[in-house]
Amino acid sequence: MQKLGEELRNRAGQKIVDPEYLLFEAPREKVFMTGSEVVKEAVKRASVDASVSYPITPQSEAAHLIGELWVEGYVGVYFRGESEFGVMSEIAGCSMAGARTITTTSGPGTLRAMENFPMWAGSRLPIQLVLMARGINSPLSIQPDDLEVSFLLDTGCMVWYAENAQELFDMILAGFVVAEQPDVHVPVINVINGFFISHTRESVMLPPDDIALPPYNPYKAPMPPIDMEMPPGRFLRDPFVMKSNYISYATHTSWQFEVRAAIERARPYIKKYLGSLIEEFGDPEADIVLVSTGTGAAQSKEAVRLLEDEGVKARVVKLRTIRPFPINELRQAVKNAKVIFVPEFNVVGWLEREIRRYLYKHSDAEIIGGPRVAGGMTMPPEIIVKDVLNYLGKEVKHVY
Amino acid sequence: MATLGPSHYSPYPVAVYENILPPPPGKALLFTEVVDEEVAMREAAKAMLTRENPTIFPGPQVIYAWNEEAKEKARLIRELAEVLEAKIIPMVDYRPKYPKIDPEKEINPNHPNLTIWHNNIKACIFVGVHCHYANVALKIIRAETDCFTIALCSNAGHEDAMITLRDQHAEELKKFIEIAKEVKKEVK
Amino acid sequence: MSINIFKINEDLKEFIPQEVIDLEEKATWGNPKRGVMDLPYAKELLEEHSLCAGCPESMAFRYILASLPNPEDTIIVNSTGCTSLVFPHIALHTVHSLFGNQNAVATGIKRTLEWRFPDKVKDVIVLAGDGATVDIGLDCTLQSFFRQEKITTICFDNEVYANTGGQESGTTVQGHVFKMAPKGKQWPKVQMWQLAIDSGCHYVVRMSVSSPKKVEQVVKKAIYVAREVGPTYLHFYTPCILEIGLNSDDGLMEMRDKDKERFKFFEYVSPQAEEVIAKKKEEGLL
Repeated sequence: MQKLGEELRNRAGQKIVDPEYLLFEAPREKVFMTGSEVVKEAVKRASVDASVSYPITPQSEAAHLIGELWVEGYVGVYFRGESEFGVMSEIAGCSMAGARTITTTSGPGTLRAMENFPMWAGSRLPIQLVLMARGINSPLSIQPDDLEVSFLLDTGCMVWYAENAQELFDMILAGFVVAEQPDVHVPVINVINGFFISHTRESVMLPPDDIALPPYNPYKAPMPPIDMEMPPGRFLRDPFVMKSNYISYATHTSWQFEVRAAIERARPYIKKYLGSLIEEFGDPEADIVLVSTGTGAAQSKEAVRLLEDEGVKARVVKLRTIRPFPINELRQAVKNAKVIFVPEFNVVGWLEREIRRYLYKHSDAEIIGGPRVAGGMTMPPEIIVKDVLNYLGKEVKHVY
Repeated sequence: MATLGPSHYSPYPVAVYENILPPPPGKALLFTEVVDEEVAMREAAKAMLTRENPTIFPGPQVIYAWNEEAKEKARLIRELAEVLEAKIIPMVDYRPKYPKIDPEKEINPNHPNLTIWHNNIKACIFVGVHCHYANVALKIIRAETDCFTIALCSNAGHEDAMITLRDQHAEELKKFIEIAKEVKKEVK
Repeated sequence: MSINIFKINEDLKEFIPQEVIDLEEKATWGNPKRGVMDLPYAKELLEEHSLCAGCPESMAFRYILASLPNPEDTIIVNSTGCTSLVFPHIALHTVHSLFGNQNAVATGIKRTLEWRFPDKVKDVIVLAGDGATVDIGLDCTLQSFFRQEKITTICFDNEVYANTGGQESGTTVQGHVFKMAPKGKQWPKVQMWQLAIDSGCHYVVRMSVSSPKKVEQVVKKAIYVAREVGPTYLHFYTPCILEIGLNSDDGLMEMRDKDKERFKFFEYVSPQAEEVIAKKKEEGLL
């Protein structure tokens, strides 16, 4: 940080502003951009210290664009790692050494990197991962499918899910702010459905690019950074706690609970910086509820509009966060629901499982896991409409 | 020991699973209640002045003279210990210590209960301990001892302590010392 | 600032254990000429640890830690294995992350510290066993060499997976019977030092740790060259006396035996490394 007059500037020369100002108050201008381009715009305003990249479709372009920011001086450290396992370890090193960090991956890359995610959480590293979900092997597919998200739910990382490029932009900025709170300080994974968001252009409102988030302060972290600048000087991140004379069970159990507790502590910050853990759309009286995430929620909103034409009132509850799971918000939102549909982009229905778990004995609604598409299929709103009409015993007319 | 709820048979109950979160800025946490800082400081002083073997556990951020604030805090902690008639047992680092610690002289975040059992400590203050290690230790203490835990945190606080004060810097420590002096007159 | 993280506040000093006070008062900070000759007099950066009695690895640790030219600004990255039992007891900032990702983590640390502290030398060292360096972590090890990361990598080669109970590793000698090679190892010992040269390391050594002064020399050279040129690699024989059936006082003789054969001193110095070493000799630091 350098002081210019009364203003604080980051190392790229941008004026440092409060996160609230950047997220909610700064004037915004409309641009037409892909999700990948929006990642660049968010990183540009986030005083990012380090990013490590690796090619995999569909996240490659976002990673290229962060590289351009490095060339332009907006990002301190940037390079291509050897594999996602290497990349996620390299970014962990950057984070331990006190950097604000972001990286991106997709599908098989996520699974290649898997051992790192619980390590990030256990090491209390507030790394941000933008996950552009795609199918996982076998067979190989580069197409959108979000099965990989189910593998991440118990890693100790926060998992957020953006519906569109606008939300992705805001979530990346809010992601740094929330994840780096000293009492949270765990990784945040911002998910979008690959291609649908990464490769399509839409209107996005952006604040000016000469302002940026305050830089990360590693000396407020819940563990000292690895830089030999903060005591204790004798410090291993993170020690074996397995010897019987270290009474392993105590430390390891307590440590694991602490990581989960950290995710819970994120709730008030998420409310502050994202508005809410959920978004509700449609007639609040409607007792037909579509609960979904990301592109599934976007298509559900369109289905609600189509259902209105059919004389059927429905609404959408979009989950912005999966970890922490919006337990009370969801229970409240589906209080009067008679039926809940859970449209998903995978074959296993991990979101349905989550919803059933948290609504068990808290809702009398019938829960229908679907419609589901996968392997690169799109989810036309008409198939959601069809499922709802079929359930109601109504004639399905103009739906193909 | 918690046997129900999300902690299951783990001996380490977790306050957030009972919907207890750190206090909002400007406030403190007294068990499950959000209270004014002064209220929490009074209760903390009272616990330290009335329970057996009160002890302050200073951590690395105040033990080592790595910046001016740390030097100032160390002086104030010494003063606080005198006012509260408390012992000082340091947490010099966070390593799982080999072959074993001397629980009379040190506290270790990996088995804080040993020090508390050994010294029969019924009230303690954590100060200058990095948040992660404070939280790991406080969960163990909460489950395994009857020690009344007080956390003076320079960040957002520790919901697993019985009293948590947040954003505690030299100014707040001075205020705590003054309150402790008043409470001492009342209880002694 | 870095030495200050070991200085104890006067107001609390009387409550601090002696060994922590010794770290401030009797360890050798801020002196690049420190070395193994300080061992009998200075406070070591290693406290009591849990390696087996007489383990040559523990000797190697002591010599290396005594030889670091810049301990107050040195970070060591470790990996899973016997070595990781020692790391909590080292008085430096150190990392244990995953089994085999040590050179990747070290890369991130080194590059970030260069970005955060452009005016300060921060040495980053990797110290791991043969399983971590040559088997499970080979990709990360070699890739960090290819990328010319300014890191010193030290491999403790005990020719076996010792911590897990004595299984064959890539550096086990052909024909040797260990667990998971019940008929004897079927293929030759990996010549890791040669791979390091071919992968772009500027200073490479293969030797045992039988001679403390020699360890000091190569550790200092490796760190200075890594600081200014690029990756360096030290391959040390630290036999597992337990797994090869020796007594706790046999470690040194075992190393001296192997000094004459497969761990005969071997040193590779690139032309750029030669320059750095010559310069440091002129400065009286080598």
